[in-house]
Amino acid sequence: MESEDLGGETRLVCLCIEAASQSRDAVEKWRRQRRTLQRMPSHLAEALLHRLIRRRILNPSLLEVFKFSVEKIDLRGESSVDAEWMAYIGGFCCLCSLNIADCQRITNSALWPIIGMPNLKELDLSRCIKFSDSGLRHLISIRTLQKLCISETGVTADGINLVSSLTNLSVLDLGGLPVTDLVLSSLQVLTKLQYLDLWGSKISNKGAADLVVFPKLSFLNIAWTDVTTLPDLPSIACLNMSNCTIHSMFEGEGAKALLEKITVSGATFLNVSEAFLFIETSFLSFLDVSRSSLNSFCFLSCMKALEHLDLSFTMMGDDSIQLIACIGANLRNLNLSNTRVSSAGVSILAGCVPNLETISLSHTPVDDVAISYISMMSSVKIINLSNTNVKGLIWSDSELVWELSLAALHSLNYVKRLDLEGTQVEDEALCPLLRFQQLNELSLKGTRLTDLSLYQLSSLPNLINLSIGDTVLTNGGLNSFKPPATLKLLDLRGCWLLTEDAILSFHKNDPQIEVRHELVHITPSEQNASNRSSPSQKGKKQQKLPKSQSRSKEETVIDQRWKYSREELLAMEHSTLALNFPYKMHLG
Amino acid sequence: MRKEDTVKLISAEGFEFVIDKRAAMVSQTIRNMLTSPGSFAEREHGEVTFPEISTTILEKICQYFYWSLQFASGKDTEFPIEPELTLELMMAANYLHT
Repeated sequence: MESEDLGGETRLVCLCIEAASQSRDAVEKWRRQRRTLQRMPSHLAEALLHRLIRRRILNPSLLEVFKFSVEKIDLRGESSVDAEWMAYIGGFCCLCSLNIADCQRITNSALWPIIGMPNLKELDLSRCIKFSDSGLRHLISIRTLQKLCISETGVTADGINLVSSLTNLSVLDLGGLPVTDLVLSSLQVLTKLQYLDLWGSKISNKGAADLVVFPKLSFLNIAWTDVTTLPDLPSIACLNMSNCTIHSMFEGEGAKALLEKITVSGATFLNVSEAFLFIETSFLSFLDVSRSSLNSFCFLSCMKALEHLDLSFTMMGDDSIQLIACIGANLRNLNLSNTRVSSAGVSILAGCVPNLETISLSHTPVDDVAISYISMMSSVKIINLSNTNVKGLIWSDSELVWELSLAALHSLNYVKRLDLEGTQVEDEALCPLLRFQQLNELSLKGTRLTDLSLYQLSSLPNLINLSIGDTVLTNGGLNSFKPPATLKLLDLRGCWLLTEDAILSFHKNDPQIEVRHELVHITPSEQNASNRSSPSQKGKKQQKLPKSQSRSKEETVIDQRWKYSREELLAMEHSTLALNFPYKMHLG
Repeated sequence: MRKEDTVKLISAEGFEFVIDKRAAMVSQTIRNMLTSPGSFAEREHGEVTFPEISTTILEKICQYFYWSLQFASGKDTEFPIEPELTLELMMAANYLHT
């Protein structure tokens, strides 16, 4: 699990980094090898530095040993990073990239040491709420900057005006800041801009019309703004206009805009076919129209290159599904959750989506018939059938008996994750699952399962996450459960028949498994300090997620959250807040 | 063992390690040196000199080659690394691509 960020390094290099960051004592053994540290290649120094950060071993004075070798530092979300850290970082002579997003102790004056850095090209201060105009006034003396992210900081319109002097900028993230049309026009001198993030700003159609002055602009985010009409911007490849009211996009005389990625989640369209009229959609690979006001989906018909299509919470239904089938050849990810699509709709898709890896049908009226059609989608890895009418049983007209519908999935060789949360499946219906040797994640929360199923699940050899909360499991059932050796997380929240003693005794037998329950929350024995954040901190971090439009920061927290989609995280947040873990305790 | 089946790795201090060619091939860099047409001397004599790698580190590297072969054949043991060697060993491993 620890090696995931060392993907590019060879095995012995990984073993060395592991050994070097084993403990504070280990660090003491090498930190005085100055000459070696000085001539260390930057990628090795960075890998070691970041491993020390993750292990909570790095302190400001230890930073100094890296000052001749490290070019990039990523301290995102590290709550301890403050002025003292910056004082040491100011001495890094080759530093070209510094990420201190979400470092809440960073103030304007804390940044002074980095002002004179000759090579700094990238700086991310996103959500450093104490950073404001006076800090920015100093920052603009770093003329080498090519990338600046100051979204959701304390910077005002006056401050943003100053950014215009950073003429080398190619990436500028001003998300959540009060950028007005007037301020945007002052930024016109930044002709090298390729990436511009203005979500939640105060720009209107007038400001949007001025965007044509950026000839290299390829990424534009104007979600949550009052922009309704976007001018012809021929260089744009990625566009985000989520939660806007869209009248027209890229209307103009020239050639059609060649887009790769469009996100218009929650947007209101005046007229859908007109909105897409000036876009060359045959190269589009990513389209998110979830929660939008669409009622016709004819615009899909030319989008033959689509790989990712999100139609959740739209009016999509069986009558329009043929449009998806026609463009299904390259689809990898299809989200139809919270739509009117039924099993009949899924039958139209079967056979037309040979590359589909993820299919979500949660909160749709599909039933067991859909499973047999999903079994014809040979590349599928992730199946979400939560909160549907699936029962696990299907009536066979030829045999005149009830058959187990999940057995149809045996024809699929790659299924890693199956979500049957909130369905009607009972113990018997689950039997076919036991043959899924490759299954990593299984969610059976809120189903009609009993101890019998839990006992059977012991035989899934590659199971990592098991969620079986809100069921009627008993102490006896948990007692007889022999978890697979691979299991890391067992979610038992809402299993109200379980007692604290039974859960603790399970933990005693299998201390490596994280167990979640209202009475006891057990984190595995050998975990990092980062997992032991107090409940109040955790709540705070999760509450930030819905607001954060840009990159989320789960990856800085070493826990299981990376496995879940944003929707699921939000769902979990609510359940955590509501229950508030009255007896939460951390062992280990 | 026949001479063709071994290679001689020479450290910065001139210390020579004669090891199984198969083990040495665990390093992508050595493999290239022993097989590419450009490195005639290495191929002809089965000898590689590492002026940047000290004897201590080269010895550890050789141990790793053998450990790696055992690991690949299913023997699941730990490869111990003394903390004071980690930095030098890491740089050598990076150079040898192993």
